[in-house]
Amino acid sequence: MGRQWRPKCYTPQTANRLGNTVTYTEQELVISLKAKDQQSFSYLYDNYSGALYSIVLQIIPDKELASDVLQEVFVNIWRKIESYDASKGRLFTWMLNVARNLAIDMVRSKSYQNSQKNQSLPDTVYNSDKGGISMQMNVDNIGLKKVLTKLKAEHQVLIDLAYFKGYTHEEIAAMEAMPLGTVKTKIRSALLQLRELLK
Amino acid sequence: MNTQEYISSGVIESYVLGSASESERAELEQLSILHPEIRAAREAFELSLEQYALNNAIPPPKEVKQKVLAEITPAAAQVINMQTAVKNTQTSIRSISILRYMSAAAVVLLIASTALNFYFYSQYRSSAVKYETLAASLQQMASENKVQQAKLDLYSSSMRMMSDSNMQVVALKGMVLSPFSKSTVYWDKQTKDVYLQVNNLPQPSANKQYQLWALVDGRPVDAGVFDVNDPYGLVKLKNIPRAQGFAITLENKGGSATPHLEAMYVMGTV
Repeated sequence: MGRQWRPKCYTPQTANRLGNTVTYTEQELVISLKAKDQQSFSYLYDNYSGALYSIVLQIIPDKELASDVLQEVFVNIWRKIESYDASKGRLFTWMLNVARNLAIDMVRSKSYQNSQKNQSLPDTVYNSDKGGISMQMNVDNIGLKKVLTKLKAEHQVLIDLAYFKGYTHEEIAAMEAMPLGTVKTKIRSALLQLRELLK
Repeated sequence: MNTQEYISSGVIESYVLGSASESERAELEQLSILHPEIRAAREAFELSLEQYALNNAIPPPKEVKQKVLAEITPAAAQVINMQTAVKNTQTSIRSISILRYMSAAAVVLLIASTALNFYFYSQYRSSAVKYETLAASLQQMASENKVQQAKLDLYSSSMRMMSDSNMQVVALKGMVLSPFSKSTVYWDKQTKDVYLQVNNLPQPSANKQYQLWALVDGRPVDAGVFDVNDPYGLVKLKNIPRAQGFAITLENKGGSATPHLEAMYVMGTV
């Protein structure tokens, strides 16, 4: 990605003449976003909505709900870009965490919990004309979860709980009946394997 | 500390993925400043994660972008609301025409209120100017009044002294040099204080000052210098226990030890 960001210098003139062909360095992008420049925001959306959508889908398989969350994610990015601190990490990392937290909030909401219960009833399966089951993604084949399948099953569960379900290490220790120290060690070793897999 | 060990501890990954504890977070932020290789390791993981997410991107439904843009631009949101209203049936057409009337009314009101604003603002400006002028003249009157009050105080105390039965009045008459000059010495018989009233003396030049002399056994004794400012006030001069007469000469500023008799303006005896 670093290569794609480096190229041409951004000037408003080229933006007007050439439309969408403008590219930004990450720094330029952040400055423009903080200045509430809609064109740079549109660029951000075009370049990152797919990546963030796949992250949301890993947590919320329902495409329609995931789209709603994605909408909320970008509105949040626009409104909270002031709080992004480049010294603490890349822009994408910040957006990833915004997306993940909003998706986990949604999963934990009452309305979502209820809708999940309803979906397991046979009636709704028949009633769903175009939605329902066909709308659900096969989560294991997308995004990070595809990489996770290469990890040991035990590690997969822990990463899933920590990163896709948003549980704290303490909560996981209680759920899995495992000492907190062990949970931390295993998650870290899983993360290191993940790092190697992502290379 | 061993940076390689730290890098391979997994802390960096949990930091990037947002699950590091507060203390781990603070520690890593500190260490990335001190050790460029830790920062580089963090960035490398971030980049690989980002690259991976971009490679596995799933395009979201097209309308999501429109919805996001509508939500972040209030004006655009209104256009979309109106468009959806148009799509609906008669009721919404009616609501649109109502909306149109309302916006026309709103525009009229806005123009009227802008005009009123200008009117009130110009009124306010001219009132403010008037107020400032009034305040300034009031202040001037107050200070003039103070000066008058001070003069009045001086005159009334002078009057009191002149009418005091303890006061001995010595009229000093004009000499050859200035026949029309006149002054009056008020001499308190008890305290022996000397007060002078200048009835008529020519204004001296800036480097000169009048000096009052008491004539004691034929010899002049300094009774003090004074300025000719106020023809009605009394000037308190030196205490003179004994004298047969008084005279005023014009001396260099500050007074002299012995009088220049050729510059004597007035004289009178007790």
